[in-house]
Formats: sequence, C-alpha cells, structure tokens
Amino acid sequence: MLQVENFSNNILTNINFHLHDNENLIILGSNGAGKSTLAKVLCGISYSDAVELFSQMLHLLNAKERAELINYIPPKLEIFDEYISLREYLELSELYSQLNINHVLELLDLQTLQHKPCITLSSGEQQLTMLASSLLHNAKLTIFDEPTANLDPQKTLKVYKILASDSIGSRIIITHDLNLAYKLGYKVLYMSDGKIEFFDENKKFFEDSNLDKFFGDSLKRIDNYFVVNL
Amino acid sequence: MKYIFITISILILAVSPFFGQIEIRFAHITEITSIDYKLFWDLRLPRVFVAFFTGALLGLSGLIFQSLFRNPMSTPFTLGVASGATLGTAFAIVFGLVYFIEVFGFLGALLTITILFTLTSRLKAYESSSLLLVGIALSFFYSAALMILFYMSDETQSYEIVRFTMGSLDVVGFENVFPVMVASLLLLILTLNYKKQIKLLLTSYDNAFLKGIEVRKINTVLLISVSIAIGIAVSITGPIGFVGLIVPHILKTIYKKSADKLLLPTFFYSGIFLVLCDLISRNIGSASNIPIGVVTSLLGGPFFIYLLVRRKKA
Repeated sequence: MLQVENFSNNILTNINFHLHDNENLIILGSNGAGKSTLAKVLCGISYSDAVELFSQMLHLLNAKERAELINYIPPKLEIFDEYISLREYLELSELYSQLNINHVLELLDLQTLQHKPCITLSSGEQQLTMLASSLLHNAKLTIFDEPTANLDPQKTLKVYKILASDSIGSRIIITHDLNLAYKLGYKVLYMSDGKIEFFDENKKFFEDSNLDKFFGDSLKRIDNYFVVNL
Repeated sequence: MKYIFITISILILAVSPFFGQIEIRFAHITEITSIDYKLFWDLRLPRVFVAFFTGALLGLSGLIFQSLFRNPMSTPFTLGVASGATLGTAFAIVFGLVYFIEVFGFLGALLTITILFTLTSRLKAYESSSLLLVGIALSFFYSAALMILFYMSDETQSYEIVRFTMGSLDVVGFENVFPVMVASLLLLILTLNYKKQIKLLLTSYDNAFLKGIEVRKINTVLLISVSIAIGIAVSITGPIGFVGLIVPHILKTIYKKSADKLLLPTFFYSGIFLVLCDLISRNIGSASNIPIGVVTSLLGGPFFIYLLVRRKKA
C-alpha cells in the first residue's frame, strides 16, 4: 500500500519502510525527530520521488488522483481567511465520502458551532473540525498528526473511537500519547534524529526493554497504562 | 440594508450621465441633431460605462490579488503591475506607437507579473511581505524609467504622459468602452468559475493542495488574467489608484464574508464607487475636471481609516 525507498533530505536520513494493504501505522518519536517532516513527504506537500502509494508513484499522480489516495491532517488548523465558517470549511472537504456534513457534525458534536468562523474556534474545536474534514474527504490513506493533542479526556475518547473505527480508510497516526498508540494496536514506527529506530508490531514496541531504551525512566507502566513519571 | 445600498447605487448610475459642467436638457436627448444628444450619447453615457467597468475591474483585481498573495496591501497597484502598464503605455506614446497603446500597456503588466513570479518562486511559497517589497522596489524602478521617458519626449508627448498618469475617464464614443467592459466581464466570469478553488486557497496552500487543487496552476491563471485585464484598463484610463485597495476591504468589513462570496459585490460596488467619484470630479471643479485619482483617494482614504479604527474598537 505504501512504500518509501531510500529517502533522505536535510532532516530525514535513509527512510525505508513499507506497509501492506489494510495495515495501519502509529508514528512515535521525540519532538523534532522528523515525524511531521516524514508525513509531509508521504502526502506530497514536500516533493519527492521516493513514495509509492497503492502501487503508483506519488509524484506522477495528478492533483485529483493524489487527493483520492492520500490526505494529511496537520496538528494545527491553518486558515488564512477570517470569515470561513466551520460548515464552509467542511463543505470544501466533501470529496470521496458517503457521509454528509450533518452526519459528521452530529458525530463530533459540532452542530452548535457550525456557523462560527473557524478562526474563532478553540484549539480543541479546531482539532475536531479537522477530524470532521478528514471523514468527509475520506482518502484511501489519511495521516493524522497528533489528532488528540488539544483535547479534553472526553473528546480524546471520542476521537479514539473514531480513529479505531471503520469510518476512515487506512490511517497513519502521529502521536505522543502512548496509551492511544497501545490501545489502537497498530504497527509502530519510532523515529529519532530523522532516522527510523524501530519499525515492527505494536506488541514488540511495548516490551519493557524497548520502552526503557526509548523513554528511560521518564515513563511508568501501570496495568498496561503509560504515565509520565512525574 | 442591502436593498438600500442597491437602490442608492442604481440611483447614482441613473443620475450620473445627466450631471456635468454643461447642463443637459432632458427633453432633447432623443433629438439626433441637438447638442444634448451628442453630449449625452457620445460623451456622458460612454463615460459612465467606462467608469463603471473600470472600477469593477480594478476592485475585482484588488480582491484577487489580496486573496492570492494573502496580504491586505497587495493590489495590482501596490505590486507594481499597474506601474508596469503605465510605463508600457508611456513607452508607446514616446515612440509613436499610438495604435499599440493597449498592447504595450498589457506587455508592461505582463512583464511585471513575470518578474514577480520568477522572484517569488525563489522565495518560500509566495512570502507576501517580501513580495510586497519587491513590488515597491519595482514601482520605484518604473517611475525612474518613466522619468527617462519624460526626458526623451517632446512637449506634446510629455503633456500626454502627464495627463495619462493622472488617470482620466475622458472617452469619446463607445469604442473605448468595449475593451474594459469585455475585460471586466471576462474576469468576473473566470473568477466566479474558480470560486471554490479561490476559497480553498483562502484556507491554506497545503489544504488546497491536499484537496486536489493545482495550486500553482490556479495562481498562474488568475494572476495572468488579472494582469491582462489591468493592462487593458490602464491603457485606456491611466492608473486609477485606491479603488482596488479599499473597496474590497470596505465590503469585507460590511459583509463579513470570505472573498469567494464577495466577487460579485466587489465587482458591482467598485464600479459604482468609481462612477460616484467621477460624478464628483465632474461637478466639483469650476473650470475643469479634477483628476479622478484625486477624488478616489480623497474620498476613499479617510473612509477606509475610519472603518479600520471602528473595527479595532469592536
């Protein structure tokens, strides 16, 4: 489904990995490790000729074909215009989904906010807006960059349920939330300093030896929950 | 509120051809032999048309530039496109290429947009502040080049250039109306056609890219079309500043909507704005008309500042 061969740029070194059909992925790594940079390469925002998606080379696809295959949800909503409302933003994202805007608004409890300009929404609300837009876009593969970063526990749970559900296609999730990573159970890619340090099954990553190697004593495991050792 | 604005606008359009330094006798405008007939059909009416479509074109161009370059200050005038067109036109005047004035105006605009494009492709994704600086630098360069043309021109030519750079809506007959009318209407149709793409570009370039928009292509098509239109308008009326800068802003603060919804209102009200300014310029002076650019700036400037201050308070 996804294959990257020998890709390097000024941040990433020697990136090689591939995902099979219907395989999802969690990308972990410290701040500045190159996770978002990798995501931008995978979705084509940063140009490369090293990415193969669904047996087609990404850089050879036209804009429409590419949009059908891959989407990237950045960690923060970027919007220049000050008047585009949440609903208008979602209208722009209606591409390949069977769902309509009202369904998605209801699913994420956003109905009351739909006519507010995106720019006036809180960061958590903006996060949900982007998630809603990804559902409506419904690309075959979606990369979520820290989808739970600004959310309260209830909304985090809601987002977790959507990320774990069948309502989206294949997904790559970049996160710092180890509980989310563990519960989703997807394959894990761990990055550090622009290099892939680990790429294997979820269970293997969460073995104590690996956790110790990557997080040292900053992390504590309690009944298969992971907490920062404050 | 909206209907009041529209009614006032139509009223301005309707009365505009009847007021000027020479009074028109209403009863005589259908008499082919009368002076009133000539005055009304050959001078006043074409003038109102040129004013309307030029204003519409300038306003719409301003809105597109402000949206694509993401800077409230960027208009074809602030980025030097209009100065390029002015220089091209002056060049045609000095070298006796009067029949190709439009072509040279357009070439000047196109040259500028090419320079802006080449430079911005080296900058990071249309960095608007550096682009604005480039535009300002270009404008200075063009005014220097215009000075050289002045130096080379004879008396009648330099008079012609001065008149031209002041901006003027003096046209005779409808032949001069058609180029601006066609250019402005085509630009309107084109932008309405690209409404969704423009709106996506107003979210973020990355978002537009991910939603399957060919960002670079759309930008190129729109900017080149605007440049052609500006080239045509400037070659006929000379540079008329401020319309493209302030009318879109004024409408934004009134409508509170994104640019894709303001295409038609901007077109219409920019046209009305210039017709109104022209009406004032024709009637305020006693001996001769005040240059149109003076009126647009005198009216628009303070009103714009008022809107900005009021918005800060709210």
